[in-house]
Amino acid sequence: MTATGAKPWPKMTGREEFHFIAELVMKCSTADHTQVTLHDQDGGTTRFANNQIIQNVNTRRGNVAVTVAFGARQGTATTTDFTAGSLRETVKRAEAIARVSPEDPEYLPPAGPQAYHPCPTARSETVKAGPAVRLEYANEAIGQCRMENMSAAGIVSSSRATVGVAADSGLLAFEERTEARFSITVQAGDATGWASAAHRSIDRLKVQERTLSAIHKATLGAEPHELPPGCYRVILEPAAVAGLWSWIIWMLDAKSYLKGTSPFAGKLKKRILDKRLSLENCPGQADLLGVGFTAEGLPSTTSQWIHQGVLQQLVYDRFTAQAQQIPTIPTIEAPRLSVEGAAASSLAQLIKSTDRAVLVTNFWYLRPVNPTDLTLTGMTRDGTFLVEKGEIVSAVKNFRFHESPLHAFQRVEAWTSPMEAVTSETGKMLVPAVVLPEFHFSSVTRF
Amino acid sequence: MGAPSWDDFADLALKRLAASGAEYGDIRIVHSTTQTIRGEDRRIASIRDNDDVGFGVRVLYHGGWGFAASSILSHEEVPRVTELAIDIARGSASIAVEKVVLAREPVHRDRVVTPVRIDPFTVPLRQKTELLLATMELLQAQSGVVRSSAGLWVCRDHKLFASIEGTRLEFDLLASSGDYTATALHEGRFASRSFNTPQLRRGYELIEEADFLGQAPRVAREAVEKVRAPSVEAGLYDLVLDPEHLSLTMHESCGHPSELDRALGYEANYAGTSFLTTDKLGTFRYGSPHVNLVADNTEPETLAATGYDDDGVACQKWDIVREGLFVGYCTNREVAPRIGAARSRGSNRADGWGTVPIVRIANIGLEPGRATLDQLIGDVKRGIYIEGHGSYSIDQRRYNFQFGGDAFWLIENGRRTHMLRDVIYHGITPEFWNSCDGVADRSHRQRYGFITCGKGQPGQSGWMTHAASHARFRNIQVIRGEGRS
Repeated sequence: MTATGAKPWPKMTGREEFHFIAELVMKCSTADHTQVTLHDQDGGTTRFANNQIIQNVNTRRGNVAVTVAFGARQGTATTTDFTAGSLRETVKRAEAIARVSPEDPEYLPPAGPQAYHPCPTARSETVKAGPAVRLEYANEAIGQCRMENMSAAGIVSSSRATVGVAADSGLLAFEERTEARFSITVQAGDATGWASAAHRSIDRLKVQERTLSAIHKATLGAEPHELPPGCYRVILEPAAVAGLWSWIIWMLDAKSYLKGTSPFAGKLKKRILDKRLSLENCPGQADLLGVGFTAEGLPSTTSQWIHQGVLQQLVYDRFTAQAQQIPTIPTIEAPRLSVEGAAASSLAQLIKSTDRAVLVTNFWYLRPVNPTDLTLTGMTRDGTFLVEKGEIVSAVKNFRFHESPLHAFQRVEAWTSPMEAVTSETGKMLVPAVVLPEFHFSSVTRF
Repeated sequence: MGAPSWDDFADLALKRLAASGAEYGDIRIVHSTTQTIRGEDRRIASIRDNDDVGFGVRVLYHGGWGFAASSILSHEEVPRVTELAIDIARGSASIAVEKVVLAREPVHRDRVVTPVRIDPFTVPLRQKTELLLATMELLQAQSGVVRSSAGLWVCRDHKLFASIEGTRLEFDLLASSGDYTATALHEGRFASRSFNTPQLRRGYELIEEADFLGQAPRVAREAVEKVRAPSVEAGLYDLVLDPEHLSLTMHESCGHPSELDRALGYEANYAGTSFLTTDKLGTFRYGSPHVNLVADNTEPETLAATGYDDDGVACQKWDIVREGLFVGYCTNREVAPRIGAARSRGSNRADGWGTVPIVRIANIGLEPGRATLDQLIGDVKRGIYIEGHGSYSIDQRRYNFQFGGDAFWLIENGRRTHMLRDVIYHGITPEFWNSCDGVADRSHRQRYGFITCGKGQPGQSGWMTHAASHARFRNIQVIRGEGRS
């Protein structure tokens, strides 16, 4: 590749420039309250399939959102044009909306000044990485698969962003964020293996290690047997655990809880899962993708969500939090799930200690079937195996499951320490691999 | 000297692309304006007016792709981004083993405008919020309904597409939709019933003609009836599916597998591949002879009928499944030659200036048959009539699917009786479509659109419309969508 990586990147909107933008917006606003949100991002993705680059892109996108309110009448307008004239026009558009909006009984003025804990959101190596670095990593993964006579499909992406929230209440938050991702699906005939990573540092993607893991899975996946649907003991790898737990987290909305339209209705401060399970938010954990503040400029919090199986928190909007007299709104953008007690040293150890189970690498297309009991459906994907007497004895055809994580995680038989997990359908989490005694597979597909 | 026009920016990029030695290059400049109003529980929760401008430059250099984009439309940024796109393409070419060759397409110069009777951006905001508030009042006036939501969405895209082949296209495209939901609570259970206008390239007349407010009492009543209805008994049933429900079934089980890039493995790492592999083209029995699935990107008002796609290829109409036989794919200029096609089907679309176009599902619809809905139901001894969208999931090759719905009625001895809840059916795609033994006539045909079809990395939202008349499927496995069944 030519020397793209050495070229200067476009200058991102910095802290001082954000202050300037925010002040300009607030000066020309005639509203009672004004809030400005910035998201300025530069990044790209190198995508490959069939051992070829199929897409190689880089996009710079800046966006400013202005929310104003006259009394309890509010409106929001956004723009991608940061010139003074455009920002003034954006304020006018937001004001025009707010003037004719009905009063919102749940409107609250912007939050006041906040104290933020430093959060490791940006890494210089990711800032410096560009198309050349992404191509190099992609080529490395493709090369490893070619050597094994297998076919690789995947992505390497990296981005940097500056994010800010300011309001005439004195609220002011700003930070730089970086993110890098790698995922790969290796095809060996009809079998596939998969691995994925996301990190603030592009140097922590472990491209070689994860490609080898996907190659190993694809090798094991040859000639899958068909098992009948039914209840099985399962070993869920971290990605599969993350898929199920994402739905638990997404359903924790406090307003739904209070209206009775939540699977957790009536269960706050009650035991909902195995008493050894705990879920906490860890925004400062370097292996998670924590942020310093929310879209409303509220600080991220280190908080317990489930402690020893007992539901401790709900996801609050500001109005509901105030009505419920919740002084600090807990956040859950950097989740870590753990199990108390002696953990297996590795996934391999977990397999070795299991007599008979279905090993699931990942789930795909998870969707709610019944919101009342949080029954979900989805497919196993890219590596489903039968384990007998502590060994993987064969690949099995992919199952569809019909199961509620609130039921499945009532008893965890064995587990590892939390590990990094990210899928195409979930954010990044730290979760253990687990053995669950009963998991319901409702049908089988053709491969 | 006045401010540079979009044509000036396009020429600036095209000159650099032509001088680079690239075999192909294009620029898309897009200005999207979106107004979204969301109501929740009798209040207007947000009104948002998004203004989004930017451009993307795509380059094919010695068989390798490059793409760069920016929201800064200026004399300095257009050359920088163009050079970056060329540089990225050179990088792709440097490791390319199999070079990309594009299918030929005539040069087009045209302007495409969505004809609308009422520009939704000129309709007073107060009129829209009053409609949503009145709708939510009606929904929550029904005893048993505990929550409501309602929304309106309109989007206008001004776009210029120009390529170094000489194609230059201008677009002024518009789309609208509205929806609402009532949620009812009964004995600790809750269930929702929804109303959706079709998402179409129409103006505010779409909302006015939809009887938006008038349907609210029925939707609220049915939400309560649904949550109080008996749960379905698992077993084999004949299913009669309404056009809105079928739009999702077709989308997932026919639309996606007929995308040629999936069949060729381009989406193996994310959206998945396809059981409709290229060796099956022209020979595979996808469905029964009643099943005719036609892609039509020329039908007025439909979302994918944009005149031309983001390859600059003119929109077309073609068969995907003819009398049950799989005969066609959705293609772009890159993948069409891989099955020996001389021309792309014109299904290459990006979801904005900042993303690269990829193969998207066309406006695939089920061709009408000869029956009436009453005849379809009348010939069912034990079955279920399903309306609308519910839970949905399908494997990455599009074989094993599972669908719910928005509302279900038991059919007994040829009559639609009472509502059911928790209905989920599952099957294997070709077995399901081969069980189709009747499609209602053209008078039953309705169109429903999608604007959130996820595909690609980074993820993009695809837009398309699926039309159908009611259809009947025999002996489908139904399970109960609660706990373990």
